Amino acid sequence: MPLLSLLVWLPLLGALACLLLRPYAGAGRWAALAVTTAVFTLNLWAFLASRGLDGWLWQEDHAWIPRYGIRYTLGMDGLSLTLTLLTAFLLIIAVLISWRLDVHAHFFFSLLLLIECGIMGVFLALDLVLFYLFWEVMLIPMFFLIGVWGHERRLYAAVKFFLFTLAGSLLMLLAMITLYLVHGDQTGHYTFALAALVGTELPPGLSWWLFGAFFAAFAVKVPLFPLHTWLPDAHTEAPTAGSIILAGVLLKTGVYGLLRFGFPLFPEPAHTCLPMLGALGLIGIFYAAWIAYAQNDAKRLIAYSSVAHMGFVILGIAAWRTTAMEGSLLQMVNHGITTGALFALIGMIDTRAHTREISKLGGLWAKTPVLSAFFLFFALASLGLPGLNNFAGEILILIGTFTAHPAWAILGLVGVLFAAIYMLRLVQGVLWGQPPSSQDWADISWRETIILVPLALLVLWLGLYPHPFLEALRDPVQRLLLGSTLAGLGGMP
Amino acid sequence: MTLTELHALVPVLLLAAGAVALLLAGAWKASYVTAMTYGVLIALGGGVIALFYDPGAGLVGFGLFTFDRYSRFFAILWSAAAALTLLMSFRYGKYRSFMGGEYAALILFAAAGMILLSSASSFVGLFLGLETFTLVFYILIAFHKGSSLGAEAGLKYLIMGGVATGLLAMGIALIYAATGTFHFDQAAFIPSGDQALRPLLLAGWALLLGGLGFKTSLVPFHLWTPDVYEGAPPPVAALLATGSKGAVFAALVLLFTGSDLTGSPLSSLLWMLSALSMGAGTLCALRQDSLKRMLAYSSIVHMGYLLLALLAAGSTGSGAILFYLVAYSGATLGAFAVLTALSPATAEAGSYDHFRGAGYRQPLAALVLLTCMLSLAGIPPTAGFMGKFSIFYAAIEGGYTGLALIGILSSLISLAYYLRPVMVMYMTGPEGGPTPTKTPCSAAEKSVLIICLLATLLLGVYPGPLFDTIALVLP
Repeated sequence: MPLLSLLVWLPLLGALACLLLRPYAGAGRWAALAVTTAVFTLNLWAFLASRGLDGWLWQEDHAWIPRYGIRYTLGMDGLSLTLTLLTAFLLIIAVLISWRLDVHAHFFFSLLLLIECGIMGVFLALDLVLFYLFWEVMLIPMFFLIGVWGHERRLYAAVKFFLFTLAGSLLMLLAMITLYLVHGDQTGHYTFALAALVGTELPPGLSWWLFGAFFAAFAVKVPLFPLHTWLPDAHTEAPTAGSIILAGVLLKTGVYGLLRFGFPLFPEPAHTCLPMLGALGLIGIFYAAWIAYAQNDAKRLIAYSSVAHMGFVILGIAAWRTTAMEGSLLQMVNHGITTGALFALIGMIDTRAHTREISKLGGLWAKTPVLSAFFLFFALASLGLPGLNNFAGEILILIGTFTAHPAWAILGLVGVLFAAIYMLRLVQGVLWGQPPSSQDWADISWRETIILVPLALLVLWLGLYPHPFLEALRDPVQRLLLGSTLAGLGGMP
Repeated sequence: MTLTELHALVPVLLLAAGAVALLLAGAWKASYVTAMTYGVLIALGGGVIALFYDPGAGLVGFGLFTFDRYSRFFAILWSAAAALTLLMSFRYGKYRSFMGGEYAALILFAAAGMILLSSASSFVGLFLGLETFTLVFYILIAFHKGSSLGAEAGLKYLIMGGVATGLLAMGIALIYAATGTFHFDQAAFIPSGDQALRPLLLAGWALLLGGLGFKTSLVPFHLWTPDVYEGAPPPVAALLATGSKGAVFAALVLLFTGSDLTGSPLSSLLWMLSALSMGAGTLCALRQDSLKRMLAYSSIVHMGYLLLALLAAGSTGSGAILFYLVAYSGATLGAFAVLTALSPATAEAGSYDHFRGAGYRQPLAALVLLTCMLSLAGIPPTAGFMGKFSIFYAAIEGGYTGLALIGILSSLISLAYYLRPVMVMYMTGPEGGPTPTKTPCSAAEKSVLIICLLATLLLGVYPGPLFDTIALVLP
């Protein structure tokens, strides 16, 4: 069974189906739900079937554009698997949270599925051009999601998002071609296959330039400190489903790209950059926490908290230790789940109160106790309460970092405190205090329960027993640290 | 002229003879729709013959032209462009009372001229081919008698074109004086022996490049472009943007084949022209409020990219040019087809206000425009991405990284103007501007839209066969 191709192309077929079902009201969302569920089931099956296996779990390889040595190569290891699983899961949430949407609904759901196709491709592609193709394909539907269904300043945010992310990736394209030509000159074998390009001997100067170009593309996506300014705008203006996908998965493509392509292709500059990476991660943690504290828009606050959380992820990678690295990868999943849930909750509050401003909210605990309980739960998870998922990731990152750079770990620990400050301010402002209006709001509906309960269970599971995920990540992390990421990629050109 | 030469010329002859027949038939019974239908069939016939009939390589007309696989490739491409242009003009021309068979005949003549130019192997052939369709365009641009903009555009193109022709003729004369031959392969760029004639030759090349620069609207010879595009009927502008410029590049590829530009004075000149076209075209396109003018400036930028590939030369560069021409033609024809399809019976769709909310009123046309814009911007999974990829590839391989960086920068900025029509179509409501009328697409227009859409997407995800074909036809 071409499992990987199914994961990538099933959503595309679903997107077409959504468009074709346009004459039938409501059919689009059912189609989207069916397709996302099918993809998730496939992914879950892959996760269960791969327990205890190491190396490349699945591979596919076909000729695509022979003239340029471009192949259709997909491959899945534990790292890809964890992230595709997260993607497939959050996509179901995104479909469910948009269930009531009625403005151009078929178009909306087909765009969601298109994003899924693009992101799956990014996590699975092992040919540089194929990767680049998916990398850009996922931008277009997100551009539309923000631009069509977003809030007041949606056009500005959509264009900013597109321009920022494209700027980095175009440089990456130049670097890819250069790398390909250098490799071809050396070996006479012109190919864009990652496995082949990894061993390329580059002159030191050139390898710095090329790494810089790749790094720019990935750093914008993460987003690392000075390149993060597109993110709050995109998050704030995007519809809830868009924010969930952006924070939950799209940001992870940056870290994934760094680990899958940046480090293996250019080991020397990448390792020299580790201290800088750690510094940028730390700056991100504090800077974003500081700005998050000053926000009045709840969604913007969560958006900045994403920057801070991704700072932790980067810190763990910069430490370059097994524990920290595993913690970072686990934290990517954690962040996807908690932030996705928080965005979903703010979307739910927004549909009731018609505002996201913290100063205009308040007293929610009295009006909608169940919703508020969920809100508190996820907010506590986000600030790293022990027993919940973010704690598990953060503690691994901090322990791992401490063995390498104690100072970084101590600073990071202070960063956790900062997270508590802004999250508690959010909780205080939204749940307690004086209610702005006497109007009563309905508590959560069955549909919203279906969205929140699995997220909450995952938070507990990852907080109490993250072992199955860590197990899947162990082998990729080991190979990354040993610098032999692509060993065992047998049978590939 | 021998029989073999006539055999080789069959596609061109078919187009020309068909055009004459249409003109004659129009004298007896002037029916626009019938003439257009036959026009499409003739154009398709020319393409099909070029596709299947292989007369073998051969020089035609004392070596003025060479007909081989390369020419047949362009015969197919320009016949298809002519057929698509005619298809998209059906409804447009009917409402603007284009009479009889003249319009169809002129388009066919233009296609014949483009094919001739694409197979030129001497400066005389280049001049003849170029003038054949330039003369036709003088008429076509001003074809809509009721439009004052059209008359202005026609006049502008006539005067500018006249100057360009003069430069071209003078340049060719000087090159002939310096080298003693009209043939591309013998007229090497820089004479190795006689240094005394070198200034003459360089002056000739400068004039020649100036003339060709006018025709392909390279900066700084581009000033006529936006006005002519705006005034011309959209289908004519489509052919002008694709065929007339593409054919010049097809000839330039032949001209530069086998010559090494590295280090020659021409190389720095071309470098400048390419950089200026990419830079200035991009900056001007940013400020446009009309789709036609934006496409005009964007065509200038694309000519800059093509020049970049020409500089890189070698088989990679030439192959990139051919692929890019196909991708660019598909996307540009598609964009103009949308313009035509969304033009109401009496007015012209041009300003972005006409496209408000079109994404939901006319989903097919909007989808095509979206795809074409993405293709022109070079975003995957469209043909434009593969085109840009191969051009940057050729540029880096040829050592023109600086120019490639300028190209990257300009394609980044280009996103801002390519996304604007998309945002107007999908992200603004009809409020705030004149209420656009819904114009139903005719079947002919729909077929053009679908062909451009499919070609753009297919070449984007599965470009292998076209790359292989191009490798086969390159001289």
